[in-house]
Amino acid sequence: MLRSRLDVRSEEYLANRAAMEGLWATVADELARVETIGGQRYVDRHRQRGKMLARERIEQLVDPDTPFLEISPLAGWGSEFPIGAGMVCGIGIVEGTEVAISATDMTYRGGSSNPRTVDKSARFAEIVEQNRLPWITLNESAGADLPHQADIFVRGGASFRNQTRLSKLGIPTITLGFGPATAGGAYTPGMSDYTVFVKGRGTAYLGGPPLVKMAIDEIVDEETLGGAEMHARVSGLSDYLAVDEMDALRIAREIVAHLRWRKLGPGPSEPADEPLYPVDELIGCASADVRVPFDIREVYARLLDGSRFEEFKPLYGEKLVCGWGSVCGFPVGFIGNNGILFSEESAKGAQFIQLCNRTNTPLVFLHNITGFMVGSKAERGGIIRNGAKLINAVSNSSVPHIVLMVGASYGAGNYGMAGRAYDPRFVFTWPNHKIAVMGGRQLAGVMDIVARNAAAGRGIEVDEDQLNAQKDALEAQIESESSALYATGRLWDDGIIHPNDSRWVLGMALSAVHTAEVRGATEYGVWRH
Amino acid sequence: MDPTDTVPATPIRRLLVANRGEIAVRIARTARRLGIGTVGIYSDADRAALHVDVMDVAVALGGSTPAESYLRIDAVVDAAVRTGCDAVHPGYGFLAENADAARAVEAAGLRWVGPTPEQITLLGDKIAAKRTAGAAGVPTTPIHEVTPGGPLPSNLAMPVLVKAAAGGGGRGMRVVTSADDLASAVESASREAAGAFGDPTVFIEAYIENGRHIEVQIMGDAHGSVIHLGERDCSVQRRNQKVIEESPAPGLDGAVRRALHDGAVALARHVGYRGAGTVEFLVADDGTITFLEVNTRLQVEHPVTEAVTGLDLVEMQLAVAEGRPLPVAQDDVRFSGHAVEVRIVAEDPASGWLPSTGTITGFSIDDTVRCDSGVRPGSVISVDYDSLLAKVIAHAPERHGALARLAAALRSADIGGVRTDADALIAIVTEPDFVAGGVDTGYLGRHPAVLDGDRPHADAMAAHLVAVSLARATANRSADRHWGFAPAGWRNVATRGQRVTWSETAGPHTVEHRIEYRRSGDSWQVTLGDWPEPGPDGALGDDTRTTCTVRATSDGETWSVEIDGTRQRVRVVAEHETSAGVTWRATSAAGRTRWREHPRFVDHDAEMAGSGPVAPLPGTVIAVAVSAGDRVEANQVLMVIEAMKMEHRITAPADAVVGTVRFAVGDRVDMGDLLVELDTSTSD
Repeated sequence: MLRSRLDVRSEEYLANRAAMEGLWATVADELARVETIGGQRYVDRHRQRGKMLARERIEQLVDPDTPFLEISPLAGWGSEFPIGAGMVCGIGIVEGTEVAISATDMTYRGGSSNPRTVDKSARFAEIVEQNRLPWITLNESAGADLPHQADIFVRGGASFRNQTRLSKLGIPTITLGFGPATAGGAYTPGMSDYTVFVKGRGTAYLGGPPLVKMAIDEIVDEETLGGAEMHARVSGLSDYLAVDEMDALRIAREIVAHLRWRKLGPGPSEPADEPLYPVDELIGCASADVRVPFDIREVYARLLDGSRFEEFKPLYGEKLVCGWGSVCGFPVGFIGNNGILFSEESAKGAQFIQLCNRTNTPLVFLHNITGFMVGSKAERGGIIRNGAKLINAVSNSSVPHIVLMVGASYGAGNYGMAGRAYDPRFVFTWPNHKIAVMGGRQLAGVMDIVARNAAAGRGIEVDEDQLNAQKDALEAQIESESSALYATGRLWDDGIIHPNDSRWVLGMALSAVHTAEVRGATEYGVWRH
Repeated sequence: MDPTDTVPATPIRRLLVANRGEIAVRIARTARRLGIGTVGIYSDADRAALHVDVMDVAVALGGSTPAESYLRIDAVVDAAVRTGCDAVHPGYGFLAENADAARAVEAAGLRWVGPTPEQITLLGDKIAAKRTAGAAGVPTTPIHEVTPGGPLPSNLAMPVLVKAAAGGGGRGMRVVTSADDLASAVESASREAAGAFGDPTVFIEAYIENGRHIEVQIMGDAHGSVIHLGERDCSVQRRNQKVIEESPAPGLDGAVRRALHDGAVALARHVGYRGAGTVEFLVADDGTITFLEVNTRLQVEHPVTEAVTGLDLVEMQLAVAEGRPLPVAQDDVRFSGHAVEVRIVAEDPASGWLPSTGTITGFSIDDTVRCDSGVRPGSVISVDYDSLLAKVIAHAPERHGALARLAAALRSADIGGVRTDADALIAIVTEPDFVAGGVDTGYLGRHPAVLDGDRPHADAMAAHLVAVSLARATANRSADRHWGFAPAGWRNVATRGQRVTWSETAGPHTVEHRIEYRRSGDSWQVTLGDWPEPGPDGALGDDTRTTCTVRATSDGETWSVEIDGTRQRVRVVAEHETSAGVTWRATSAAGRTRWREHPRFVDHDAEMAGSGPVAPLPGTVIAVAVSAGDRVEANQVLMVIEAMKMEHRITAPADAVVGTVRFAVGDRVDMGDLLVELDTSTSD
């Protein structure tokens, strides 16, 4: 059982909480812009046509009062593309079944895909496949955003391949046609197990009327060419013809109901009592400034059921806090950092990961890591050899990994802690989170030394002012490129969450991973003992 | 005991209660308190009834209608003999005023808890009773005996009442306002009386249009003692059935009261009356007293007398049946305070007291009042038996106190599963004319609005709406097998709250309510009213709603709802009525409401099958624009349905020829009903 040492009335805590709330407010402002990012004019025009916005459709699709966990809601942040990337992806409950739902946002450039949309849907397809989630697509899209076709066309084709692969794996795909599905986009319904078209609204054709006229000189209207009625009655592309948008959502719910979807994981098995310490204190637990150390156990104490934590090797490699507990009833192994990884921490982590694989226990990685230790002492102690053990274990572990970035995630520490490149099932971050090869100040300092050494090698006098300006500029650049918003905009994670929501988000993620089989690995790469 | 008495006092050890429902339960309660064993009887339909379970032993009579069960004298007597009973209490109704039953019980060597067979026969014949009353000096108006087809009395002062000699409950009764109608009224009343009671005899008496129904409780023993236990005012009636009874009669002139008491006692003494009885009178505005009849049994409304006298009338009945003298003398009877009884019946006053049947899903009433109930959750209410579910009796030093207590208890009473008159009863006991006291039998006719029932005030309505919505949200969360741990409606990208449209039904009114809520830490942000909908230009209208902060806790059914700092307690129960959905019942100190969630989706299956449009909501057809064979164009209006106070235009989905129009104006339609059959294949 964890006992908190945090004084939530201390000035230090309150100041840190206020700083974290400030960081969250920035994220919240961005999230508030997402729904109508297409612009009021286009939103109004969409509604004037009697259509619902993407999230309004989802509200009507999911079971009443159930949560909906959006994935990558701020994808595209900081790019030339809209935040959210013109589509909504998430996991929700439909007819008592956890399903993946994606929906195009017709109010931004006609629901067309841009390069970020391709990234976001590719990531979502991974989530669907790895977690065996039935997938409902609420589709209406003009197709590719043509001026950007070069960044879309070739790799974008994978989405259709993914659909049929999912189908082969037995993961049902359901597409609802609320509007156009043109050209390549027509394969979105085409590759689905089930299709529902909204009468008078949903269309699908490989070439639209202008192209048909150009190609074969046929003059034809949209409805005749690829309207919902035609596809329902003639071509057979539409399995169900919906009277209106609501009816399409109703039919989708009926389809999900008849799937009688069974989860393959064992599901929750532990008491899911609240932690002893309120989850509302989470926002003040991690340092707003990642350079200020904090005890990761304070986070554990507010995430784990009943704050119960059976710590593994508490007296060895103590900068890596490992142990067993449960979140919302799901048994988990927690691995989190109190800063840097030494050899002992690395070896301990590798052992812990193997133990969790033996008992088919999903792992939650809580990043608060400045990297692996450097220096001659560390090198002589075999930090590379020991770090390799951790990376070997984490790479070959086959229990689900869920990552929660509660602070820094710097350097190879990101790899050892199952960072994005190590294929974790989900990655969520807190607004204070920083991710980079190293901290901005450190990186600028390294570059400064490199520059001075190079100058010295060539016997050139350094221009201190210029070098300092370069150093400051680089530090600022790295700081901004390692921020939580920057990271999530580039899809390095699946979304920034409010720290106080972490327990639910972990619970939902754990529940989703239990839809697939939860089975630990028995084989690893060669251990460098 | 007087040594010269011929009737030996023998204790009753085991009592057969020859009745069902609340009165059987009530009789058993006293018997148990006195250490007397109880034996019940039950029909097949009552196999699971409450009155069966409260008895030590119960005997199955079979059948379901009264004639097949509770009215079978031989079976009842046989049950009593077989189970070793030494007395039979008939309650009221069924065999209570049946001289043959009393005779059969006594012939079997058992005691009949009631008057002698001769007294039942004599007083049960209204004409004989009137003659006896006259002979005993009871104040009354003259009657005229007639035979159908025979000569009719002339020069009668109109209006008059034609009544069946063997009648009761308003049957075989006709009001005649013109001498020309007299013959036909006699004819039809006689025919009805013959059918209902097997006796065509009728008589004519003066009709007192707006009299007060006042009755006197009498009690006599086998030793010749007769006392009265005061009067009851039962003037609030519908179709000659009592709705509210009270004691004493408010504002009754002292001389009239004395005349009633003395007359009742004189009549009872004249016939040597044994046991409990009630002498009923009609008292006109001017104080004129008309003797109506004697009920030779325990009355439904006896608890008000018990409340003001502190006596247990069933206990007294049993003492008399044991042959003991009355436990109190007239001078020992003390009247204290005022008591009012209301009858909760499974009938809907707003729709002409239409009987309501079904299964009771909830029944609980505050213990601040006496509640004599024959039902419990699970009880089945059928048309086979009386609609009386329970009686609620409030007693207080003053009448207004009793009425206030009654209103409060009725408002917070949780009653579910069938429609009842409870809301109308609240409306009556708070209605100024009734509260003023002294109303006559025309009261309900002059105050039809009370039948619509009492409704909670706006603040309470908001608390009910919030409590029902949060109860539903909580139920929905418990039903979530996957993410039940997460807060209701949790979103990481919050766009809107959970929106629910409810229809709330109280009495004849159905009102639509909308609520939007979202969980926010340990409280809820709740917005009541219509959310903005897109206008013609697609822009959302202004949101004029205000949001309040709600904190709510529940211990299962009872919700404490704090809305912007004001807290109310609301009991919320879900009734799983049909596959169509759940009806939520909310009860607070302010009253009861019933809620039904609007379905999210309309089932268009019938429509998509090409057969025609379906009803989007349950409602009433208010216009039909087409008839069979008509050619209609797409979007042409076929029918208009009123549902939730809104008119819904039902249009043709495509050009078609009208087949069958399945509903007419005024018809009720249910959601998903196919309204108009259309043939789209021949339209071109």
